[in-house]
Amino acid sequence: MLTCAEFLAEFGDYLEEEASPEIRARLEQHLHECKTCQVIVDSTRKTIRFVTDCDSFTLAADQVEPIVKDVMKRIHEKKP
Amino acid sequence: MGGTLATRNEQIDPFRGLVEAYGFVPNLFRLQKKLPRVIEAEQRLIDAIVVRESGLSRRLKDCLLRIVASAQGSDYCRALHAQTDSNDGEEDAALLAFANKLAKYAPWICKHDIDVLRASGFDDSLILDTVLTVALGQLLCTLANALRPNPDSELPAPTSIEASGLPEPVELFETKGPYLQPGPPAASNFPPYAFFREQFGFVPKLFQEQMLRPDVVEAESHTLAQILIPEDLLSRVAKEHVVLLISTANLNTYFVAVHGQILATLGVSLEDSNQIVEDYRRAPISPAEVALLDEVRKLACRPGGMEAGFDLAPLQAHGFSNPQILEAVAMAAVTNFLTTVQAGLGAVPDFLPRRVFTRKDLYPSSGPSRLISDAISPNDPDAAIVVRVQGGDTNAFEELVRRHSRRVFGTLAGLLGNLDDARDVTQDVFLKAFEHIGRFQRRSKFSTWLTSIAINTGTELLRQRKPFESLDEGEEEAEFRPRQIQSWANNPEQALAASQRIDLVREGVLSLPEKYRVVVLLRDINQVSTEEAAAALGLSIPAVKARLLRGRLMLRESLAPYFIRIEKRSPDADLR
Repeated sequence: MLTCAEFLAEFGDYLEEEASPEIRARLEQHLHECKTCQVIVDSTRKTIRFVTDCDSFTLAADQVEPIVKDVMKRIHEKKP
Repeated sequence: MGGTLATRNEQIDPFRGLVEAYGFVPNLFRLQKKLPRVIEAEQRLIDAIVVRESGLSRRLKDCLLRIVASAQGSDYCRALHAQTDSNDGEEDAALLAFANKLAKYAPWICKHDIDVLRASGFDDSLILDTVLTVALGQLLCTLANALRPNPDSELPAPTSIEASGLPEPVELFETKGPYLQPGPPAASNFPPYAFFREQFGFVPKLFQEQMLRPDVVEAESHTLAQILIPEDLLSRVAKEHVVLLISTANLNTYFVAVHGQILATLGVSLEDSNQIVEDYRRAPISPAEVALLDEVRKLACRPGGMEAGFDLAPLQAHGFSNPQILEAVAMAAVTNFLTTVQAGLGAVPDFLPRRVFTRKDLYPSSGPSRLISDAISPNDPDAAIVVRVQGGDTNAFEELVRRHSRRVFGTLAGLLGNLDDARDVTQDVFLKAFEHIGRFQRRSKFSTWLTSIAINTGTELLRQRKPFESLDEGEEEAEFRPRQIQSWANNPEQALAASQRIDLVREGVLSLPEKYRVVVLLRDINQVSTEEAAAALGLSIPAVKARLLRGRLMLRESLAPYFIRIEKRSPDADLR
């Protein structure tokens, strides 16, 4: 059976649902028996969901057009 | 007071030659202090070519060096050589035009260019000095492009680059060199020749054709002895691969032929070195060496100008130390120097070339080097607009800004940590993209290309804020072991107000080391695919996946205290 370290090294593709059937089976066998790795998988999935849904680095919709205007103004000013 | 002076003298003593050349020690060389043998070699070249009296005045040499800096887009190198009066005499116009062409479009140099110089009154000795000075300029620009030194306080603030105004040449006159009359034959005990025979088994014609300046040949052989030959950092073969790759990107038939043969004497088959030329990613070399070549090829003096974006992070991630990276950069710089000298003198290969770069290879619109390029990216939703902008429709660019400003902003906000800075730099990124869109070959999606400009611009700004010495850090950390191993609540986000959630994620992401942060930003915040993130960062897909997982686990650690379920810890909750 995999050790936790081996599991943690491999479970990136598993989270993305891109692991091959063989790897997936081995990871799930480990998960079935390891409460700690179950917690890590569950909390990492929640982390991804939380970070993905959060607008921490999003440009507000009303700020797009001012940037477009400024960029085009600077481009036209630079042109000979 | 006396102690301070002694310390200062000790510091500058190894740089005596540079003080003589510039009046102080430029930051460009201070950044290489971990590799004194490289600095020493560079000093010797500068001394022989710039400082030592020759037919060209120092004023004219500085002017030539500024022309190269302009051609390569290096503000730093322009400032470095801006100390003398820049008034260019009319009698030098032909020489300056030649220098501009050699710096920008070296493969197009032909005998006709040399005849024009001779008709303008320049003898072979002056032409050789000009070629050497331009080549040295390429070397310095390569170093500056890779090491990105801070401006020197001793110099006036760098002025922005002037457009060189040289149209892309179309005509290619296929004439054979060598273009200059041979110098006096070397004495039988001329030390550089002994060095070449010992190391290469022969004396390459390129050096024989510079015998009007034996002192420069001495400096060149010394440079190779200090940078190419030692094996305490990178292996000799790895450095020969750098030479081969840069020569290929520079479309230099001579060096590809000569160094393929030299590699054969080191036990590398001609087929294997040919594979480096045709597609090094398929060559029998380690993934780490592929990563090294991926970065180093950005330093080639391609027709039209050097590429930006040389990045240390992927190299450090593959375990390269800073002195090793510096050595690879120096090797690339020396190769740019030598390929420029060869193009200027028209030295013919010592061996029958297996790969001759032809008119087709020389035409820039076929890509930076068709040997190492991919097919045009299909299914790019921006392709039609990009073509219009490349065709001169400036206003079409507006739609590209509209489509991508949120993604660019998101990447920069996460990198820089300050929303106002991110807004300003977002504009700069689009201006850079517009400026260089003519060079965008559509081998990746426009959005990928734009993202890589955003990442390079953001990381460059971060580097300016942090001293370059931070290079010493960043080796790959040991295996990451999660510490927080208690269960989380089912819907942890519900426990927090929206503004708290935003702050929490921002704080967590910004506390990640840069190399993990960038990948998390692209994949989880900007929803970029793994393949696109790998292309934008110049990393392999496995490297992106590994960094993403590490970044996510680190984020999980920082969020855990807010989300763990309040319950008794599971008795078997421990890593095995």
